[in-house]
Amino acid sequence: MVAKEQEHDSITPSDQALVLSSLEREQLAGLKKHLIPRRRLAGPEKFLIWSLRVYLFFMMVVVVYQVWVGLH
Amino acid sequence: MGVGPEDRLSPQAAAREGVVITHEDVDRAHDRVRVSEARAQRGVFPRFRLLWLLVGPGILVMLGENDGPSMLSYAATGARFGIGFFIPFVVLTFCMAIVVQEMTMRLGSVTHRGHAELIFDRFGPFWGWFSLIDLGIGNFLTLITEFIAIRAGLGFFGVPAWAAVLSAFVFLCLAVATHRYWTWERTLLAIAIFNLVFVPVALLTHPNWHSVSHAMITWRPLPGGLSQDTLIIMLADIGATVTPWMLFFQQSSTVDKGMTQKDIHLGRFDTVVGATLAAIAAVGTIIATAPLFAHHMTAENFQAAEFAQALRPIIGHFGAALFALGIVEAGMVASVTISTSSAYAFGEVARRPHSLNLPVWEGRSFYSVLFLCAAIAGGIVLIPGLPLVYVVLLVNVVAVLAMPPALVFLFMLANDREVMGEHVSPTWANLLATGVVVFLTVAGVLFGISVIAPHFFAFLGGK
Repeated sequence: MVAKEQEHDSITPSDQALVLSSLEREQLAGLKKHLIPRRRLAGPEKFLIWSLRVYLFFMMVVVVYQVWVGLH
Repeated sequence: MGVGPEDRLSPQAAAREGVVITHEDVDRAHDRVRVSEARAQRGVFPRFRLLWLLVGPGILVMLGENDGPSMLSYAATGARFGIGFFIPFVVLTFCMAIVVQEMTMRLGSVTHRGHAELIFDRFGPFWGWFSLIDLGIGNFLTLITEFIAIRAGLGFFGVPAWAAVLSAFVFLCLAVATHRYWTWERTLLAIAIFNLVFVPVALLTHPNWHSVSHAMITWRPLPGGLSQDTLIIMLADIGATVTPWMLFFQQSSTVDKGMTQKDIHLGRFDTVVGATLAAIAAVGTIIATAPLFAHHMTAENFQAAEFAQALRPIIGHFGAALFALGIVEAGMVASVTISTSSAYAFGEVARRPHSLNLPVWEGRSFYSVLFLCAAIAGGIVLIPGLPLVYVVLLVNVVAVLAMPPALVFLFMLANDREVMGEHVSPTWANLLATGVVVFLTVAGVLFGISVIAPHFFAFLGGK
């Protein structure tokens, strides 16, 4: 901790006390490197996400086609 | 997760866990102390002070979304259809925006994580990258259109294209130069409020208020009925109010501002105020260009400055200049918010520091992405001969098409009890959100049908 603190050498002990007393634990930038546990998607959720992904790909093709028609 | 408001680290625990306090934390802590002090006091003035301290992300995201292509969409709407169906329709789209953006504010306040970070963590990198690529493409195309709007708006005053793009880039640099979220937010809010300049422009056209109120109640008239043109304008107007970058931006800026669960009520207020202001500006723009419809001017393919020129005989040079300035403001504010949204998302995914409270060196990757996106988009606008008009016309349509997949992740996160604890979406909010997803998907499908089978609407009785 001490070595890393030297990177932030302008931060005083009173600053540290202020931060720890006024920010919630999860608000500290240093603690955000911890990952939030991954969620397992249920079958219907996977189906919905994949359906919308296919929809988006298809619609993008439609948009490209419309641009192509417009340009010609 | 669902951290409680009193979940703070003791100095001993911080030392034990090796927590490094950064400048970002210190700046945010100063902001939170002011919020806590205002909250602890009683009386009307401290209430207003608390409100003043907590508003920001909601107003910024809504007025930021009233950007160059959006104002152009509203202007084209007024010129093509006059006062009628689209006035209540645009108000409806802002109601949808409130439903969607409230969820992002709630997610940010409870989890203190950005939207990209939450998707990567909860759903894994596969879906995370899809979301990030959607965001990146959409943001980049939109950013190009912001510079087009700035160039066109300043072009009304005779400013050359290179000077217009350069001034926009300098503005972006100045906006983040203080390395302080609070100052950045207040500066941008002060400029964003000029989005309402379209209201005096509308008043200069001496609108028929009876027609406006009649349209609000009856949703009529809709000249030409349902056609491919109507559908594209509808999609563009939807895309002018709900887009993927807004989800990422408001959640990340809520986190950067340091909002907590206690601030959710005022965060909702902030979002509603933002949507109301943006809806007023949008309706003002439609009313402002409605005289072009009344004068049978073919204006649907106009660019920003051309609208100002066309309106000059009706509202005079002052009114036309205000219109052009409004377009410049719309592009300027959005170029900052959209670049920032890209930089937040990159930082969250790359696990690099990402905050507007960071000094330059500590936040070098964050600021590099922010400036690089803007510089490339601005540079593209200066390349002669590129068919940029297609980008402007289609950017809002692309935004609408990309929304349903983005909304489903938002919906799942906002209902994830492990992440949100007691702040999961209530049933009524889920019903509204489902309605928004279905509405956007149906609008997209109808657009697809209109392109693939252009005579479909004629078959149904439209044109």
